[in-house]
Amino acid sequence: MSAILDIQDVTVEYSTGGTIVRALDGASLAVRAGETVGLVGESGSGKSTLGSLVGRLLPGNASYPEGRVLVDGHDVLQLGVKELRTLRREQLGFIPQDPISALDPTMRIGRQLELALRGLPNDRAALVGHLERVRMREPERVLRLFPHEISGGMAQRIVIAMTMARSPRILIADEPTAALDSNVRSEVTKLVFGLARDAGTTVLWLSHDLRSVGRWCERVAVMYAGRVVEDGPAEQVLGSPTHPYTVALAAADPAGVQPGERIETSSVDVATLAESFRDDERAAKRRAKTRKTDAESADDPEPAPEEEVVAR
Amino acid sequence: MRLLHWLPGRLLSAIVVLLGASILIFAAVRSLPGDFAQIVLGPLSNEEQREQLRQSFGFDRSLPEQYLLWLGNAARGDFGLSLASQQPVLDELASRLPVTALLAGMAMLVTIAIGIPLGVYAGTHASTGRGSAAARIVSTIGISFPEFVLGCLVVFLFSRFDLGLSVGAFTSPTTDFGRGVVSLLLPALVLSVFCVAATARTTRDAVIGVLVEPHIAASVARGEPKGFIIRHHVLRNALIPVLTLTATITAYLLGGAVIVERVFNVPGIGSYLVLALDRRDYTVIQAGVLLATAVFVIASLLIDVLTGLVDPRVSVAKKGRGA
Ligand SMILES: Nc1ncnc2c1ncn2[C@@H]1O[C@H](COP(=O)(O)OP(=O)(O)O)[C@@H](O)[C@H]1O
Ligand SMILES: [Mg+2]
Repeated sequence: MSAILDIQDVTVEYSTGGTIVRALDGASLAVRAGETVGLVGESGSGKSTLGSLVGRLLPGNASYPEGRVLVDGHDVLQLGVKELRTLRREQLGFIPQDPISALDPTMRIGRQLELALRGLPNDRAALVGHLERVRMREPERVLRLFPHEISGGMAQRIVIAMTMARSPRILIADEPTAALDSNVRSEVTKLVFGLARDAGTTVLWLSHDLRSVGRWCERVAVMYAGRVVEDGPAEQVLGSPTHPYTVALAAADPAGVQPGERIETSSVDVATLAESFRDDERAAKRRAKTRKTDAESADDPEPAPEEEVVAR
Repeated sequence: MRLLHWLPGRLLSAIVVLLGASILIFAAVRSLPGDFAQIVLGPLSNEEQREQLRQSFGFDRSLPEQYLLWLGNAARGDFGLSLASQQPVLDELASRLPVTALLAGMAMLVTIAIGIPLGVYAGTHASTGRGSAAARIVSTIGISFPEFVLGCLVVFLFSRFDLGLSVGAFTSPTTDFGRGVVSLLLPALVLSVFCVAATARTTRDAVIGVLVEPHIAASVARGEPKGFIIRHHVLRNALIPVLTLTATITAYLLGGAVIVERVFNVPGIGSYLVLALDRRDYTVIQAGVLLATAVFVIASLLIDVLTGLVDPRVSVAKKGRGA
């Protein structure tokens, strides 16, 4: 078995005040080492639940009655507390959606980075090195700042630095650019995939943004109602889809998608496409709007102009 | 430093509060119905004594002038003579201050040393039976025993049975510090019971609140051990509401000291003020209330500074509000 990550038929249920929500309903996904997989699907389809499950990081009200998750052969859902900790520490890396809240608000960036790198070289020079690796401007100064004094883009770079410092074998990024300003999104995306490629890290990229998925991921898995309903090479899934959701994508994007190539269509998320079935006219209006905002923030790989405004 | 941005404004507001309180204290005593000298000196005083009192209070001048005179003297530490004992109020307060300070300090120490660890334990074990049981027991004891009742109970038990500590035998900490501490042990414990419960409760809630924050989830995802996360990320964040509570606790200790000193017959400022109330010794009452206000205002100021040091966002918020 060559899969580094093997999710087999998992069911996850959340119980909230007596009602039970089935977030995953027999989801399966196998990922080989070094692959970059984009996990797409409308909001609520279970992407985040699946991503958290890989590190057994679900909230207390979640239960997983069925299925297995194997990371490098370890059965994550059965591991003891200590082994689980070691697995998270040495094999897994997570990048959340909201980077600022992922940092301790009472601690300077330098101190938290130092704590996160415990066990690795974490002197001043090493910290600066890690910040330079994520192309942070003025790393020395940033180390002395508090999280509320930096921008979302800077915070996400810091989280990426913390995560990639250990060269995890699997990186799970849950809509890591969704909370960022549009002008830094492509740069942050490029950064993550670049660092992952250098470290040989397998990437599971959870996203709404089909354009960046088509551009950066070799493979695309589509989630719908707690299952993976379509899975294959990005070119195939986005180009000649079979599931209605992905078909909807094709309908909206007649040009098709070539992996590694600039996608010339607007960035339309699956939820919008689903709606287009029900209400063509409304969807058309929305697409027009999306296209307009896209035109304003051209997807340019050049570093964005001074985004990191600092409140002092 | 960020502190420098808001500290001057905060200092100014502390001074305003103190001045406002002094006006209230002055006005409260002066607005007592009837002839002030008569009230103060009692019906058996003669006209000569009353005239002397009116002179010393500057009654021939206008009220604002009288206030300024009183305030100016108070600022220099001159609170006048005790009407009852004819001794300078300052000297009497100064001789009793160390006792009350030690009592309140010991109670504060017990509060921190027991309340915070207990709250952290209850907060980090909130989902287990033992943690929530600990929280329930502590808050029940703290809330259902007012220190007057608890104090009387302790006095009764310790004077009725030989339990190692004696009540009523008081040694001043200025003559023998060690024995002073021992003799204040029981009153300090009684005084701290409510504060321990309040601190444990606040700490527990704060810890539970911090534990669900995304940055804690992020360190869990990095594979950090539980103890490490609590030490480095939970405690510091949870400390902020606990520090805020400390201001309330300070006020509570000031008030509680009055009762506890009375119950345990401790010759501190609290029992001195109760005595002054009994004797209608208004110069002493004015001075005592002003002193208590000053202690509270200074304590809140210190706590704000500490909070600003722990939570960098506080200073920004204050600065924003002040501007
Ligand atoms: N902590 C939670 N408690 C209860 N229900 C949840 C919780 N987290 C997610 N859910 C539910 O599980 C389903 C899947 O959510 P999620 O995994 O967040 O999907 P996605 O990331 O694709 O938007 C949704 O119906 C959502 O409402
Ligand atoms: Mg999600």
